[in-house]
Amino acid sequence: MTTAEESMLRANAIGTPLTRLDGTEKVTGTAPYAVEHPVDSPAHLHPLQAAIALGRATGIDTSAAEAEPGVLAVLTHANAPRLASTGNGELEILQSGEVGYRGQFLGGVIAETPEIARRAADLIRVHYERYEHDVELRADRDDLYKPEQVNPAFDTDTAQGDADGALASAAVTLDATYSTPMEHNNPMEPHATIACWTDGELTLHDSTQGVYWTQAAVAPLFELDQQQVRVISPHVGGGFGSKGIPHPNVVLAAMAARLVPGRPVKFPLTRQQMFSVVGYRTPTIQHVRLGADEQGRLSAITLDVVEQTAKVKEFAEQTAIPTRTMYAAPHRRTSHRLAALDTPVPTWMRAPGECPGMFGPEVAMDEMALACGLDPIEFRVRNEPETDPESGLPFSSRNLVACLREGARRFGWHDRDPRPGTRRHGEWLVGTGVAASTYPVFAMPGSQATIRATPDGRYAVRIGAVDIGTGTWTALTQIAADALEVSVGEVDLEIGSTTLPTASGAGGSSGINSWGSPIVAAARTLRARLDEHGGTVPAEGVEATEGMPDNPHTSQYAMHSFGAQFAEVWVNADTGEVSVPRLLGIFAAGRIINARTGRSQLLGGMTMGLSMALHEESVLDPRFGHVVNHDLAEYHIATNADVGSLEVDWLDEHDPYVNPMGSKGIGELGITGTAAAITNAAYHATGIRVRELPLHPDKFLR
Amino acid sequence: MDFLRPTSWRDALEAKAHHPDATPIAGGTDVMVEINFDHRRPTSLLDLTGIDELASWSEHGGKLRIGAGLPYTRLIDELGDRLPGLAIAARTVGSPQIRNRGTLGGNLASASPAGDGHPPLLASGAEVEVESVRGTRLLPVEEFFTGVKRHALASDELISAVHIAPATGAQQFSKIGTRNAMVIAVCTFAIALHPERQRVGTGLGSAAPTPLRAIEAEEFLSGELADSGQWDSPRPLDDSVVRQFGDLVARAASPIDDVRSTADYRTHALGVMARRTLGWVWDEYRNHPSSTGRPECA
Ligand SMILES: Cc1cc2nc3c(=O)[nH]c(=O)nc-3n(C[C@H](O)[C@H](O)[C@H](O)COP(=O)(O)OP(=O)(O)OC[C@H]3O[C@@H](n4cnc5c(N)ncnc54)[C@H](O)[C@@H]3O)c2cc1C
Repeated sequence: MTTAEESMLRANAIGTPLTRLDGTEKVTGTAPYAVEHPVDSPAHLHPLQAAIALGRATGIDTSAAEAEPGVLAVLTHANAPRLASTGNGELEILQSGEVGYRGQFLGGVIAETPEIARRAADLIRVHYERYEHDVELRADRDDLYKPEQVNPAFDTDTAQGDADGALASAAVTLDATYSTPMEHNNPMEPHATIACWTDGELTLHDSTQGVYWTQAAVAPLFELDQQQVRVISPHVGGGFGSKGIPHPNVVLAAMAARLVPGRPVKFPLTRQQMFSVVGYRTPTIQHVRLGADEQGRLSAITLDVVEQTAKVKEFAEQTAIPTRTMYAAPHRRTSHRLAALDTPVPTWMRAPGECPGMFGPEVAMDEMALACGLDPIEFRVRNEPETDPESGLPFSSRNLVACLREGARRFGWHDRDPRPGTRRHGEWLVGTGVAASTYPVFAMPGSQATIRATPDGRYAVRIGAVDIGTGTWTALTQIAADALEVSVGEVDLEIGSTTLPTASGAGGSSGINSWGSPIVAAARTLRARLDEHGGTVPAEGVEATEGMPDNPHTSQYAMHSFGAQFAEVWVNADTGEVSVPRLLGIFAAGRIINARTGRSQLLGGMTMGLSMALHEESVLDPRFGHVVNHDLAEYHIATNADVGSLEVDWLDEHDPYVNPMGSKGIGELGITGTAAAITNAAYHATGIRVRELPLHPDKFLR
Repeated sequence: MDFLRPTSWRDALEAKAHHPDATPIAGGTDVMVEINFDHRRPTSLLDLTGIDELASWSEHGGKLRIGAGLPYTRLIDELGDRLPGLAIAARTVGSPQIRNRGTLGGNLASASPAGDGHPPLLASGAEVEVESVRGTRLLPVEEFFTGVKRHALASDELISAVHIAPATGAQQFSKIGTRNAMVIAVCTFAIALHPERQRVGTGLGSAAPTPLRAIEAEEFLSGELADSGQWDSPRPLDDSVVRQFGDLVARAASPIDDVRSTADYRTHALGVMARRTLGWVWDEYRNHPSSTGRPECA
């Protein structure tokens, strides 16, 4: 039996800043995104969306639309294919005239051009019976319920010891409520699909985070075998979670294509359509209570989260999850309660759970440090757990303290005056803040990799993974090269299609772990086979296929990455405008496979965290149930001018338990904690504690 | 949809007379967004980009005549030194791409309460030259705006130019938004000193259904400065004067709550911007009474 250390890959290509293998294609515009794939005589779909938040379409008059020249078919629940019932209320569209949320698909027009489709869709007249809708999340609702589990399969509630008792007798306590607003994923490439039926089989060129995830969701709806649905997605212009589980747009495209068999139907969503059909991050209300002794040792931590889900399908964001791992305290409790609303279905958005869940508690830690008279770094260090607080498992590696210390050194934290509201630069109040980052190490089951060596000295590596812009093409090539002990130039990677071996999707920062591990396993088998051939490749080639190896350490260790984020924030004393001239993130996430794309992931995560702190907020109009600021003019995402100096670095973290690469996953880590660090710095600048995101100027003029 | 492409101003006016419902399009940075969002379905578009003279400027009788089709980028580069207030505002518009396409004429005709070009025009007492086959009129800019996204153009009229005097004293513009670029203003304020007339001009944006002047504030400050002989021998302003000016500017506003901000915040911020920009222009006037502004500062 080999030890964990022995089974670790020797890094050669791994860790280098290899430039993106698909970089030239991307910057020259030749990398095909979903609807850019060349197809013969495509038809175009424009959707019909519900104009009410709840009720029933009692009549849909499609006659004018059908009469438009160039219209090929009009799709409504009257002629839509019957879908098998899979229990997914989000995807089972057009099975009746029922409307569960505003903007829900009621049909669509398929036409020769997108313009004709759009115009004809506009000519459809829908009569509704309206029911009273309910779209407002409040913590004091009397109908909050406890979901069976939270995403993806965590306990809804946890408790240890006697938190209430410990709080009652604690020397120092904090009791505060924090909130984050509804937020929408806005990848550059909108959700987009080309659907085509031939001989009863479906081909989807889809912008997806998982070709096999899309296949698995779509095939049963249309009562097809998995293999009868082919999904192709070599390049994806961002997803952030919103392209993980397929949304109704994929189903609508497939339904529409059914009406014009043999013709590919193109369906790229508009930015505005995205705001009602591809999910969002639930607003969260986070009630935090902390209790500590005089020395600043936490005796109790509780976090009770209230958030929303949709009546058409449940999604329970796991907001309290990081609190179960971050800090030691003998008495602790976490809970999630949901309001089921007549809204679109919430979904994954970069670091679901950890991202909102590292806001409230990390601001609370700052408040508590002050209450205990301690520096916020020292306070965190004092409450560093020996083992995972809830499971009791040892950590496979945990370098939060090292990140905090290294960050403090680099940021110049040591001579920080903790008093708030005392530093001025002209009319600007200046402050600094810190918060921790964390993200779990997820490994998805089920991936397989095939590697084939040929006598020309090349290695074909095939796996149905995807690259959503993160650099998968490059990073998997590096892993394969090191596992095969060849140079990256000898490896031909193929990903992005269900014609390749099964693979999990890009989600939960698990891609490198879940795809890299079977690639390493297949490479090792292949090398053993090559050895049997005396090290030379026979004329017919040599092939090896391996699945995701079982990792015995998963049940023995708690596996998480950590980080520390530092922010300098200026708040205008007169107008409350907030500016962030400096952010520094130091992370410990195992081995970083590609120093360039890895850095980009962390930079991007922090930028998105900055955007969350300062700008992002979907404003839902309770009267109509739709998001008012449903485009990029009004849903603000940080621009270049909002990002000052942004520095990212990582510690050399050695973790032989997570996987043979020693890597932990970095796609989501960077967004966790950023908003808290900025909020804490804004407090340090002004003395005003804002507990609701985003940090709009008016909140500093109380 | 018809696409009309006149190559001379005369043709454009004829076309507009024949097709009064035609939508003029200059940079298209408002029109194309509206078409895309289906807020507007023009039966025909009247493209003004083929008319060279519309994208030019000239100087007559001490005033600058800025063609309605001059893009912001050129306005900043070619007239920034003489119209510092307008140039500062123009630099805050959108992004480089938008400033390459967008025009003052389009900004005026869109008549958004949040149009960034409007407050400096108000502060400088600019006039809008509108023309049809029937003839030409010159409208003071405050008479041009008649309501939210409404203006005084007749259906056969086009904006030909803006007439504006080069700065004779310091000018400033201040904009608050919820991010640092590509933002529809939460509110804006422009100020211009006119020492030759011993007057102060103001302009407020996103503060009411139309861009407007804070006339009481102008009267108050002009009066104070004249009464105390400050135009000839400028001294630091009394805090009470600065505060009163800010209060009067804030009082001129009748803002609303919307997704971008609240009425209360806007009122507060207008007062701040008024005091702040007054501080800047007055410092500059005291230090260089004859200079034309601080174009480097936004
Ligand atoms: C991404 C983006 C960012 C933006 N940022 C800002 C900003 O920061 N500040 C700001 O104020 N605006 C902003 N805008 C709005 C827009 O760019 C400006 O209002 C610009 O000045 C419009 O000029 P245009 O030439 O593009 O107008 P067009 O879009 O061509 O026309 C606008 C309107 O004016 C009419 N029109 C044009 N020329 C004439 C004429 N000669 N006579 C009569 N009517 C005419 C058109 O019919 C239309 O109603 C932004 C727009 C976008 C898309």
